Amino acid sequence: MIRTTLRWLASSLVLLFTVTALTFVLASLAPGDAVQAVLSDQTNPTPMQYEQVRHQLGLDRPLPEQYWHWLTNVLHGDLGTDLFSGQPVADTLNGQLGTSLSIIIVTLVVAAVLGVGAGVVSAVRGGVIGRALDAATAIGFAVPNFWLALVLIEVFAVRIPLFPATGYVPLAENPAGWALSIALPVITLAAGSTTFIARQTRDSMMRVLAKDFIIALRAHGLPMRSIVLKHALRNAALPVVTTLGLMFVGLLGGTVFIENVFAIAGIGQQAVNASLTHNLPMIEGVALYFAVIVVVVNLLVDISYRILSPTAGVKS
Amino acid sequence: MRSMRRSMRMALAVAAAFVVLSACGGTAVTGSGAGQPKPSGKIGEVLTLAQPAAPKTLDPTKETTSDRFYAALAYQPLIVQNSAGDLQPGLALSWRYVGTGNTTFVLALRPDVKFSDGSALSAQGVVDHFSYLMKAAGPQAPMFTGYEFAATGPLEVTVRSPKPDPDLAKHLSQNFVAGDIVSPIGLSDPSKLGGATFGAGPYQIDPAQTVAGSQYTYVPNPNYYDKAAVHWKKVVVKVMLDPQSTLAAMQTGQVNLSLGDQGTVPAAKRAGLTVTSAPQLVVAVTLADREGKLAKPLADVRVRQALNYATDRASIAKALYADSGAPTVQVSVPGATGYDAALEHTYPYDVAKAKDLLSQAGYPNGFTLDLSTTTGGGLNLATQAVAQQWEKAGLTVKVNEITNASAYRTTVLGEAKAPAFTANFSVPIATEGSYLYLPNALYNPFRTVDPALQSLYDQSAAASPEAKAGLDRQIMAYLVQQAWFVPIVSQNLYYYASKNITGTTTTPTSYVSIYEVQPAV
Repeated sequence: MIRTTLRWLASSLVLLFTVTALTFVLASLAPGDAVQAVLSDQTNPTPMQYEQVRHQLGLDRPLPEQYWHWLTNVLHGDLGTDLFSGQPVADTLNGQLGTSLSIIIVTLVVAAVLGVGAGVVSAVRGGVIGRALDAATAIGFAVPNFWLALVLIEVFAVRIPLFPATGYVPLAENPAGWALSIALPVITLAAGSTTFIARQTRDSMMRVLAKDFIIALRAHGLPMRSIVLKHALRNAALPVVTTLGLMFVGLLGGTVFIENVFAIAGIGQQAVNASLTHNLPMIEGVALYFAVIVVVVNLLVDISYRILSPTAGVKS
Repeated sequence: MRSMRRSMRMALAVAAAFVVLSACGGTAVTGSGAGQPKPSGKIGEVLTLAQPAAPKTLDPTKETTSDRFYAALAYQPLIVQNSAGDLQPGLALSWRYVGTGNTTFVLALRPDVKFSDGSALSAQGVVDHFSYLMKAAGPQAPMFTGYEFAATGPLEVTVRSPKPDPDLAKHLSQNFVAGDIVSPIGLSDPSKLGGATFGAGPYQIDPAQTVAGSQYTYVPNPNYYDKAAVHWKKVVVKVMLDPQSTLAAMQTGQVNLSLGDQGTVPAAKRAGLTVTSAPQLVVAVTLADREGKLAKPLADVRVRQALNYATDRASIAKALYADSGAPTVQVSVPGATGYDAALEHTYPYDVAKAKDLLSQAGYPNGFTLDLSTTTGGGLNLATQAVAQQWEKAGLTVKVNEITNASAYRTTVLGEAKAPAFTANFSVPIATEGSYLYLPNALYNPFRTVDPALQSLYDQSAAASPEAKAGLDRQIMAYLVQQAWFVPIVSQNLYYYASKNITGTTTTPTSYVSIYEVQPAV
């Protein structure tokens, strides 16, 4: 157990280091830089001004030194300040984290419930339902989220005004308003995810249902419902859990565009703004938050593995 | 180990997402308009605006003109320019030039004005504001290089400019942001200006309801000097990057006023929104290397004229700008400074004439030209079209597309590396010498000096308003004749407004004034 924990900790630290260091390097290689962004609104900035701002931002130091400086500040709880507003990066991101996470988590729950349900039914019943699932999966992958989002807005916000077209209502402020405000973003994100999970569940279930112990259980006269829910599903769940973990990370990327389409103030929108303006402290902050979320999700996936399969992680 | 590999894949994916985003750039635009419902005279509950970009900072001395709404709501300007283009009292009750030559300008400030933080307006405070503006070196600072601001009375400010400046009053309006005065308390700690407001405008920002980068909420300023001019209990500015989403938000009543987008205008009209527009931008190629330092042929006026003849503006306007653009040979639009309808016949599309001029200049087989552009505002499409047309006249055009807006600006304007480049000129400043053609002008990166042009400018700058209009037309005729630019189209810009608001009209010489937006009857 201790060895497993240490291994998780080590891999987590490597991940955090890799993401933040890579982001640092890649942001420095991208066209333009933070100095240009800061000075972009000035008429004919002089080379001296350029160097002054470069020095103020610490960009005249070697890249490893810049990274080390940022890292040590982070270890002291300081993620730096927004280059333009002067606000602490952590304050801004903390205020937006809940918004993004609520959309992602609800999307995942919706996709998991619907996807697993459809997958199980398809595996048990097969036939038309299975083929329909195949078709739905293909459509789910083929339809671009961006297009789907705009269609949903047009149909369910503009023509049939069931949901707000844009914006986000905090859960604590108005639970009903919150549910309505995230409905369309969640449907957009969940469309592809649901069909993917359904197919994954069906394939996994079919493999399990064909195993000897299931046949033995059926021979003992256990009801099919009990066999499926108590025995088959648990065995089939491992790959599905892995998929859910990966999907969570994918949805992090999904928020980058979904928050812009629905004008939601989340970390994804912040990532776009920061990247467009070369707001380096904010870019690093978002990357760190994303990486930490990935680490936590990995941990939850590993824990789920151990709950679902006690033999996981045990060497033979 | 599998978990480790999975983690590394995720790490790469996250990092790669930032690279893709970092390579992108963007720009913001503005618009104008026509008939409106009548104002009700009532105070509305919430006015919600959509803006296509978040302000980098709320510090008005560092804001760009495209962020003017954010500043104008909280910072009252010295002089208000209304939507018709007329100048009206703001923090200054009156203003005048002293003597002749438009170099000494006196402002009489409004008495008993308090900022939202409770501090009082004074002449010294205004002087301190401009000292900070110059020190902060924001986008408006170059307009005031060499200017002296002095408190010549408790409520009197005298401005002395090193050269005649006939447009100073306009430059002190909300449209240029520089005249949006910051309070003494704000100036005492400029680090706070980025995230809070310290103005004397009708509203002040409410930090508790504001999310930097996405939503800015303003509430009435209890100290505002003209309570009757506060038309809303709350003003919310939402950042909406996607034009389709913005239109949907307008259609569903979530937003009352937004900038329009060329691609969504028909849908906005069908949806019953009030669509207002006026030409406010000129899309043009700047033939910057007029001394032929990097592209020798551009030093010859016949070559520059040939490029104007080789440009089929009507085709580009029809193909790329539909109803929102009209062909033009001038860096101005009807109704704006210097525009002369008679000049529009100067360069009809004539490839044979272009080839003839190139031959006369010694380039019968054309030449190779580097033409820089960026993706913002669809400039790259217009550039590609122009490049193809010029190739018919024998040129080989190498289009250099710089996606990142900051890098583009630095490359073409700051480093004199691009002999020719495309740009959108915002019309209210289009013929201002300091932006277009004077030796230190923003769009004169190779610092071309033309004594004849300078002389015309000097005469115009020192002239009375009556004489100035004629001189401005002479300047435009000179620019067209000398072919410093290849103007392509004047572009309409749009505003969308819901039916329950009024006051969103503008003209080619002024933007929508946020102070005029009111609840409709």
